[in-house]
Order: sequence, then C-alpha cells, then structure tokens
Amino acid sequence: MLLPLLVAATISVAATTTDLRDLVAAVGGDRVRVESLTHPRQGPHASEIHPRQLTLLSGADVLVRIGLDHEPWLARALRAARAAPGAAPRDLDASRAVALLDAETPRLRADRRPHVHAFGNTHYWLDPENARPITARIAETLGEVRPADRALFAANRDRFLRELDLRLVRWRAALRPYAGTRVVVAHDTWPYFARRFALTVVATVEEQPGVPPSPRYLGALITRMKEAGVTTILAEPGAPAAVLARVAAGTGARVVTLAPSVGADPEATDYLTLFEVNVRRLVAALAR
Amino acid sequence: MSELLLVPFLACLVLAGIHAYLGLHVLARGVIFVDLALAQVAALGMTAALLAGHAPESDAAYAWALAFTTLGALVFALTRPEFEERHGFPGARRALGGWGGHVGAPHVGKIPQEAIIGIVYAVAAALTVLVLDRVAQGGEQIKQLLVGSILAVTREEVSRLAALYALIGTIHWLCRRPLLALSLGGDVRGARAWDFLFYLTFGLVVTSSVRIAGVLLVFSYLIVPAVIGAWLVPSIGWRLAIGWIVGLVASAGGLAASYGWDLPTGATVVAAFGALLALVALARSLVALGARTRREGRRALAGLGIGGGSVLALAGLALVAFPRADHVWLDALERAVPALQTAFLTAVERGVAADARESIARGARELARLRALAADVQWGRRELPPEQRERLRQFLAGRDEIVSGDRLVLKTLTRRVRERQRFVLGMPLTALGVILAATSLRRSRTSARTT
Repeated sequence: MLLPLLVAATISVAATTTDLRDLVAAVGGDRVRVESLTHPRQGPHASEIHPRQLTLLSGADVLVRIGLDHEPWLARALRAARAAPGAAPRDLDASRAVALLDAETPRLRADRRPHVHAFGNTHYWLDPENARPITARIAETLGEVRPADRALFAANRDRFLRELDLRLVRWRAALRPYAGTRVVVAHDTWPYFARRFALTVVATVEEQPGVPPSPRYLGALITRMKEAGVTTILAEPGAPAAVLARVAAGTGARVVTLAPSVGADPEATDYLTLFEVNVRRLVAALAR
Repeated sequence: MSELLLVPFLACLVLAGIHAYLGLHVLARGVIFVDLALAQVAALGMTAALLAGHAPESDAAYAWALAFTTLGALVFALTRPEFEERHGFPGARRALGGWGGHVGAPHVGKIPQEAIIGIVYAVAAALTVLVLDRVAQGGEQIKQLLVGSILAVTREEVSRLAALYALIGTIHWLCRRPLLALSLGGDVRGARAWDFLFYLTFGLVVTSSVRIAGVLLVFSYLIVPAVIGAWLVPSIGWRLAIGWIVGLVASAGGLAASYGWDLPTGATVVAAFGALLALVALARSLVALGARTRREGRRALAGLGIGGGSVLALAGLALVAFPRADHVWLDALERAVPALQTAFLTAVERGVAADARESIARGARELARLRALAADVQWGRRELPPEQRERLRQFLAGRDEIVSGDRLVLKTLTRRVRERQRFVLGMPLTALGVILAATSLRRSRTSARTT
C-alpha cells in the first residue's frame, strides 16, 4: 500500500553519466531515484538513443548533465522524450559549477590543430575537488524541487565531502613523491586529474580519438619521450592498444590503464573507488 | 623515419601480394563487397569472444573470428549455386548484370548474390552493435580493429601474415584450375565444395588483414589493383602483374605522402589508391578520346564540349545566384592569378589586403616560434618560471586570435569581390558555357544525321 506513496515521494533524477549518478545519489540519499542514461562501455560522446533513456528522461524531475559538447545525443533524446506527455525535467548543467580547462578555444582558429572539445575539456569530474561545487549545485537543485528536504541534502553532502577529504589526503600523499612527473596520455581525458595530482601532461598519442597519428607525429613523439625520459602513458580502456604498444615499444614506457568513469573498470564501482583504483594503479606504475 | 615506415611498408607488400590476386576472383565473381561482409562477420566473432571473456587481441578472439568467418564462407558458398543455378543464370550470363538470363520482365525470386552479401553485412553489423551494448569493455577496440593501425604493425605480425598468405597462395596455385574456372563462370564438378574452399581461404585472409590494416585499406588492396588490371590487359597473368605493381606504387606513394604531409597512414594509402585509379582512368579516357578523334574527327570532342560547357555554365550561374557561397574553383584561380581578385578591389582595399597578408605571415612565423618554445618548456628542454609560462600561454592564445582576425579580413574582402564579380564574371561565364554546350550538341547531332 505504502510503496506507491514512497515512490511518488522520491525525486526522479536522470544523470547522463555514472559519475554524476553517484554524486546525485550521495547528496540525495533515499530521497532520490537516480539512474545513469549511459554506461561507460558506450562511447561517451556519441550514442544511439535507447528506449530506456527516453523513459527515464520523460519521467525525470531533474536532468543532471556534463554539459558543453559532451552529450551531442542528448538534445535529440530530449526532443523525443518531450513528445511523450509530461513536463521537461529541471536542467542541471554541472559544467557551470566548475572552472574549466582548455576553455580558451579561440572563436576562430588560426591553425589546423584538431580540438576535440570546442568549449573546454569536459572530463572535469576526474578532479575529485570538483565534486565539491558539483554536489553544491546538486543539493541546491534538489532543494528547489523538495524544499522540505534541504537540510537533509546538505547533511548528506557534508558527510560525502568529509569522506572525500579524508581520502584526498591519502591520495595526495601517495602521489606526492611523483609530483611534476611528465606523462603522455592516449587521449585528452586526464588534464583535471593530472592538475590535481601535480602530473604534467606533455603530449597526446591520438589528438583526435579514432584518427591514428601520422608517422611524423609518432616519430617526433617517440624521440621526445626518449629525450625527456617520459616513462608513463596514461590510457583509458578504449584507447588504441596497437598504437600505444608501438609507442611503448619504441620508448620503453609503460602503459597504465586508468578508469575514466565509474563502471569503466570492474573495480571502479563508485565515485570514491574510481580514484582509489586510479591512484593505486598510477602509484604502482610510477614506483617501478 | 625509415625504421617507423619500413615494417608498415613490408606489411603493405604482403597485403598487395595476396589481395591483388584474390581481387581478380572477387571482381570476376561480381561479389565486390564480400570482403566488407566477411570482415564484419569476423568482427561479430570477436565481439562474441569478448562476451566469452577473452581480450580483443587474444588468440582466442582470433579463433572466434575465424569460426564465424567459416560460417560466413559457408553461407556464401551455399547461396551462390542455389540462387543462380535454380533460377538459371550461370556465370557466363553475369554480363547482364546478374539480374538473370532474360532481358525483359524480372522473374519472381531472382536474387543477385550481392543482396545476400549486403544482408549478411547489415545483420552482422547490427548484431555486433547489440552484443557490444552488453559487453563490459572492448567496443572501442573492435571499432579500432575495423579501422586498423597499419603504422603500429610489428615485425612478428608481418612474418606471421607472410607465412599464412604464402600457404594460402600455394593452395590457390595447386587448385587454380577449378577455382579460376568457377570465378570466370565455367562449370566445375563439386562447385559448392570449391566455392567453400575459396570463401574459406578468402575469409581467413580478410580476417587476418583487417586486424592490422582495417576494412578500408583491405578493400582498396583487393579491388583497386584488380580494376586497374582489368582495364588495361585481358589475361589473368598480366592482370596479376599489374595488380602487384599498382599495390607497390600505391603503398610506397601513400606511405611517403603520409610522412611528408603528416597524415594518418591507412587513410593516406587508401587515398593514394584512389588517386592512382583516377590517373589511370584519366589516361585511359584521353587515349580513347585521341583514338576516336583520329577516327571520327572533331565530332568525337562533342561530348567533351557539352560536358565542359555545362560545367562552365553551372559555375557561372552559381556565382550569379549565390555570390557569397564557396566558389572553390574561383579561389584556386585567384591564388594562381592574384590580379583576378585585385582588379575588383579599390585602392584602399588593396592596401588592407596587403597589410592583412603581411600580418598573417608575420603572425604565423611568431606562432611557430612560440609554439616550439612552449613545446620545449613542456618537454623539459627549457625552464621557464610559472608566471612566464602563463604569459606564454596567454600570448599564444591572443596571437592565434589576431592571425584568425586577419584571415577574417581577407575573407570579408573576398566576399565583397564576389559581389562585384557576380555579374561581370558570372554572366559571361554562363553565356560562354551555354554557347559551348549548344555548339557541341548541334555539331554532334549534325554529324549523327550525316552518318
């Protein structure tokens, strides 16, 4: 008897990624029902719309998204979902809460260098400090939807941030000996993570994901890596294995596969373990 | 450079060796897209291997891919005789386009094998998407396997490939009579078994090649040499020799262009195949036109006049109707003959354009110097205090904008010029094109009536 009432009492939230889903769950607790519209195994930027996504979107009170140009499929999905009866969900663009990197993209580009993210790098959730402003916006939005639970959302957020702070101290301590280490990345996914833990990203193997590097670029990269003594390549599970193996063979560097999102690796089960896993793997690679 | 490109070049030679030969079969059989279908079936096999818990580049995944390819080969071997023989259009009548032995109303149930190939491709691709949606990881790797990475190929992979293809080549040499007879439309006893052998070995080659070179490159190695060979000579032996030469030239040219122009290797080699094909087609057309002109006189040039005149008229009309649109041909002409643009500029505008060009050249030099400095700092070759690094970053961004602004100035001037060229150039060009096309058409009709 009470079940429908309980379900009706919860706020329905659709998050575009598993990382945002975890942050919403941390703040909303049992007052929200949150689901991720995508799974990290799917390509983050391009995705064919599933019926499940439309159902989630059409029934959602709040939509939490990465924003910028990270979800080009979302506009189509929203149009399709709004065709069904029901109001549009309240929109929370998490990118407005954080300070973006690579946001100074000139409106007109003088060079032909590819630029994947036209409005700034979108992988800002990979800086754990960014969880602070993102959860603040989440708490604020949930509070607007359910003013009676404002205090509860604030308390949930505080509890989550206390846990985050405790772990941040540990993660920083673990990576402090390697501060300033130069690393090469497979794709332009790690600038926020690198900045937080004082790593220097010197080059990207594939400047445009899916477009293999040219021989000249690859040759110059291998030469520079050898000269600069760069011994670590950060990659994500979908990175081009053959090209990375070629660079590693040419330089003696190690490829470290990190999880870019919750669920991208079986060990990265929530937002905090995502960093636990990444920091542990990185330390193991850098310590060798 | 030589070390980086040597192994990919050897891989290209190995690919050219076997694919130029198999391409002759594929072209003769009229099953042009069979390699795309088999590659997709192999990708489906690898995806199934992921579901079974194997890594995408493991031997187990390769075995899964081969098992699926064998099934695909079986489907193709069984469907060809069944569809073609039952409906009475053996290979000799394939010249009619595979639509049957009778010209006239199509018969119910007649299906060219390309339809089966297309269906296999589409269903395999859709099943791959469905399975990938359920696999924890590996979707990206599967996509990359289809795209390929010829630049990252290793010596061991090339050696393994060479040994495998030598073995398959030997099998085809030993069985050349029935296999060639089948492909060329002859009757062979046990045709289904020979067909299965062909598709099985073909599938093995495609599965192995796609792993290192990707679908597009494998398709190019298969079809382009065979097409050029078929254009130039009638005998199978000569076609094969020409196919190998085409493979060698496109590989060497593509790799050199990829290095020289800083482009992705696989796509550049495919483009080199396309360029080579276009060159041969152009040369062939010119030779044919020359022969026809000698035989028929100026009437032979009527088609060229009609085509050229129509293009001129359309280009002129486009300039008149949409002066602000992109007119690539006019941009190229103006680059070659700058006076074509400057004649339409006022004295002040000419000064502005000259200033903008000079500023772009200066800015580009400055950007190149500062980018090199930024790269040196980033790689640790030079040290800069943090505040100077930040200044450098901001200066680079600012300078980038200034150069872009100067380019915008030139673009704005070009638009003004286009408005002025609209009628002065566009109208005469349209008239010239219409006159050329009409004269050529009249000459062609007159000659046709007199003959």
